[in-house]
Formats: sequence, C-alpha cells, structure tokens
Amino acid sequence: MGVIHGEEMVLNIGPQHPSTHGVLRLKVKTDGEIISEVTPVIGYLHRCFEKHCENVTYDQVIPYTDRCDYLAAMANNFGYVVAVEDLMELKVPEKVEYIRVIMAEFQRIASHLLALGVYGLDIGAFTPFLFMLRDRERILDMFEMTCGARLLYNYMWVGGVSHDLPKGFVETAYQFLDYFEPQIEEYNNLLTYNKIFVERTADIGVLPPDVAISYGVSGPNLRASGVKWDLRRNEPYSIYDKFEFDVPIGEGGQGTLGDCWDRYYVRMLEVKESVKILRQALAQLPKDGDVHQALPKKIRPPKGSIYSRTETPRGDLGFYIESDGSPTPSRLKMRSPAFTALAVFGELSAGWMMSDVISILGSLDIVLGEIDR
Amino acid sequence: MSVDQEKLIAELVEKGLAGDMDEINAIEDRVLRGKVKAALAKAKRAAKAAAVAAPKEDVPAEEISSEAPVSDHPNQKFGKLIEDKFPGSIASDLNDTHIQLNRDQWFDIATWLKGDPSLHFDSLQCHTGMDIGDNQLEARYNLHSMKHDHAIEIRIAVSRDDAKIPSIETIWRIGDWFERETYDMFGIHFEGHRDPRRMLLPEDWEGYPLRKDYQVQETYHGIVVPKVKEGWE
Repeated sequence: MGVIHGEEMVLNIGPQHPSTHGVLRLKVKTDGEIISEVTPVIGYLHRCFEKHCENVTYDQVIPYTDRCDYLAAMANNFGYVVAVEDLMELKVPEKVEYIRVIMAEFQRIASHLLALGVYGLDIGAFTPFLFMLRDRERILDMFEMTCGARLLYNYMWVGGVSHDLPKGFVETAYQFLDYFEPQIEEYNNLLTYNKIFVERTADIGVLPPDVAISYGVSGPNLRASGVKWDLRRNEPYSIYDKFEFDVPIGEGGQGTLGDCWDRYYVRMLEVKESVKILRQALAQLPKDGDVHQALPKKIRPPKGSIYSRTETPRGDLGFYIESDGSPTPSRLKMRSPAFTALAVFGELSAGWMMSDVISILGSLDIVLGEIDR
Repeated sequence: MSVDQEKLIAELVEKGLAGDMDEINAIEDRVLRGKVKAALAKAKRAAKAAAVAAPKEDVPAEEISSEAPVSDHPNQKFGKLIEDKFPGSIASDLNDTHIQLNRDQWFDIATWLKGDPSLHFDSLQCHTGMDIGDNQLEARYNLHSMKHDHAIEIRIAVSRDDAKIPSIETIWRIGDWFERETYDMFGIHFEGHRDPRRMLLPEDWEGYPLRKDYQVQETYHGIVVPKVKEGWE
C-alpha cells in the first residue's frame, strides 16, 4: 500500500505560547497531523550575558547567573563560584560547602517540582501542578528566610555565601523533609501512574543514548536514556563525595527506554535522592565557623583559563572562564544544559503527532533564559 | 623536604608499583600527591628500561620531583598521539592546559579523536570562540570521553581576514548549534556547516558582538540600540 502525502503546511508555535516554557518559537512543518520537521528559533531572551560579563568584576557576574536559569538560580550561582574558585585554587571553609550543598539540593527539589508539575499541565493534568507548587513554595520560604529573596538569590559568593543560615533553619528544613517525603507517593498516585498521563508519554520521543551523548544532552535527560552519568558522582565537586546517594537511570518502566515517561520519572526519583543528600548534609552541618573567606575586595584570579562544570537540575552547567589577571573576566562562556537539550529536540520530534511534540518539549525541561543567556 | 616525607614517598611508590593506587589517591596534600605520582612514573619508566643504568629508586626524591611534574599530564600523551598520526598538525609546544592545532587537518583529527577506541572522545562539552588580539581569533573545543573519563582542550587560531575553520558539525551533532553561536558572536566561518545561520541574533544584525573591538550599530530597523556603558564597575 502506498503512503498518501498531503500538502505540507508550516505552522508557527510561539514565540508567546504557554507550552513553549518561555519565549521560544517553533517552526513546525506538518503533513496532516504528522510532524515532518521542527526548527526551534531562539534568541528572543538574549540579554548579552557574556558581553556584560566582560565589563563587570567577578563578583558582579553572580547576579547575572541568577537570571540565566531563573528556576534554579542557586545551582547557577554554585556552578559559577566553583569555577572561579577552581581558577583561583581557593578552598572555602567546610561550613560553606555544606550550606552550598544544602541550598543546591533544595533548589534541585524545587526545580524538579516545577518541571514535573508544569509537565502535567502541558499534558492536561491541572491538579498535580497545584500540589507541587504548594510544596515548592515551602522551599522558597526557606530561601527567603536565608537570604531574603525568593527567586533570584545572589546567595553564593566567591569564597563564601552572603548570609549564614538563620536561627531555626535546620529545624525548618527537617520539618519540611518529614512532610515532603510522603508527598512523593501522592504525586505518583496522582500523576505518574495515571492512565492518561502514561498513554501520552510512554513510548513517545525516544532518545537513544548515543544520540544523546552526541548532542551533549546531560542531566536527567541523559540518565533517562540509561546512561549512568552524574557529575556529583563521576567528577565530585564541592563535598559531594561525602554523601551516599544513588544515581537513578531510566529503565523503560512504562514503555521504551528513553521515552518521555522515563525523563519524567527520573526526575521524580532524583527528588528522593536529593532528600537523602539533604538529610546527611543537615546532620553533618558544622555548628560554628565563618561563612566568608578573607578575600581582597577585587578578586583577581591568576592568568589562565578553566572549564569547570557542575550538575544543575537541568544537567551539566559549564563555565569557561579566561582570565588575564585583571578584576574582570577576559571571556566567560556559559555552556548551558538546556541549550543542548533543545538542540536535540528537532531530531526527537520528527515523525510524531502534533500533540506529542508538546509532550516531548515538556519532558526536556528547558528554561529559555538559560538557552538565550 | 623532610626525611619522613622522603620515606613516605618511597613507601607509597613501592605500593604503587605493586598496583595499589588507593592510598596514593587518598593523599590530601596536592603537592605531596604530585610528588609521589611523579616519583612513581619515574620508577615505572626505570623499571621498563630494564635496569640499563644504576637503579633509579636510589635517586633522591628532590631531583625526581624537579624534572618530572609535566610528564604525566594527559595532554603530553594525546599531543604525541596526534603528532604521530597527523604530522605537522600541532601548532605550538605541548603544555598542560591545551593542545594548539593548525586548522588544515582538524576535521580528520576530530573524526579520529571520536572514532579511535582508545581515545573515544564522544562528547563535545564546550565550544567557544575567543578574540585573542593581534588580528587573531581562536576557536576552542573542550572534549570529553564518557567511557575513559579523560578530557582535552583543543585550540585553533585563525586570522580575522581569513576566519575559516572546518566544521565538525557532522561528528558531534551539538557542534551544529555551538558553531552557529560562535559564528554569530565572533564571525568565524565553519566550512562545511550545513545550516550556517546566526543563532541568537537576528540574521540582519551587523558585526560580531564578542569581538573586543565591536561597536554597536546605532539603529536597527529604526529602533535606537542602547550602548554598553564603558567601564562598568
């Protein structure tokens, strides 16, 4: 039997559309309901991050990193300060390391909760989104308690953090974890094994591991394809080598390995691992100690360059910094994990139906602020 | 160096020769660990030379550490492999931070770097450009192997008047978007790229913003473009 080809139609999704998770335009070529080609058009949020960095001091870059991935600002701060400290061969006090890990893991939970909730929303499940945002709110409250900000923190500085943990933080954190752990089961009942949700995500948008690596896909998206690669485990930075946790990978639980459901479920499992890390970190947190390293007012890292990467909720966040010995970076490149995830999107979605494209895009968990920088 | 430390190094080297690296890797002090590793490399080489000269283990530790530190950096190994396979491709002396290549054989070298089972650089981690002055632009590639867990940085310098580098877009697929961004920001043309458009800026934007001498155009389609203030502090 021959295949009937209709006339191809070009359809624009975005730049202003809720399912594109930001200001993203998709040029979609469709043959009836089947997608033959998707071209993402980006740059609508380009704010010249890298050019700005060449004009400000090393400290002043930190607030800009907040605004790149605005859903995981702590993780971006963390990645940047780790890179600069590596460049300076600076060792920060142990207490600072613990605070940073605690903040980064809380941020991972918050970011994953939003990713999972919004993914449900894309598919048409409204209730889980509200449940997850309700719990994310409590994490934001803790951040507010610590540094006064709820979204863009500017909390981690080179050589330390801006504020010590406030009184009662550890108790609040434990309370949250005790409350939160049983919630994961509730999310699973609400969304993960929901028949409609599984139908919309399982076997859709399968990403084979070799394609993922070639496209530089990282983080949960890569692990969902069955590659056990987590920088916290494989190239431990900060003090991640002190904690025990598993690296969850996709197993094709509801269909094929590396499908949308796997990408969703790996995030859910990661939230559990973050809780594990948090419990250990809170238990080991040193009571006393300074949270600032004595540093000159203007940081001048030695001449040279560094490529350093850390594991953010979205994957490998790399900072390439070239220093000429002056107080401003000579060149700063941010290698964003969402950028590489969106790069593979075109290949992933060819051949699927229109509604699947939304499902695939949501499963990649992109943040446009980080892609466009 | 104290006598104690010398003893410790000798002990650890012996263990290392017997194949027990755990203790050496667990040393907290970077300098000491480096010294031990350097001494170990030296001892291994001496063993390989099949005792031609006097036993090298007896050489005082200071002498060993003073000449050995660079020898075990992966760049030396990879640099030599590239030079053997593609003579004349290395542009400057090997060092610990990067490998400087000429652009001519870059596509073949990249294919080989990814395809060779013992190297297996399957992941292009980061690619960016750099304005290094003197009318020169540079492309930088950070490669990483997931299988062997080793990494190198490749740099290729070109003159601004002839800013062309072979594209590696077909080798690492992410090269497609990375190269488009580098073209967008630095105006380096990647020859053989199948879709050489700008990435973040509009197609009709003038100039390449991340070059150091970049001047912002005054208007864009009748809209006044705000200038970057000089010397923000």
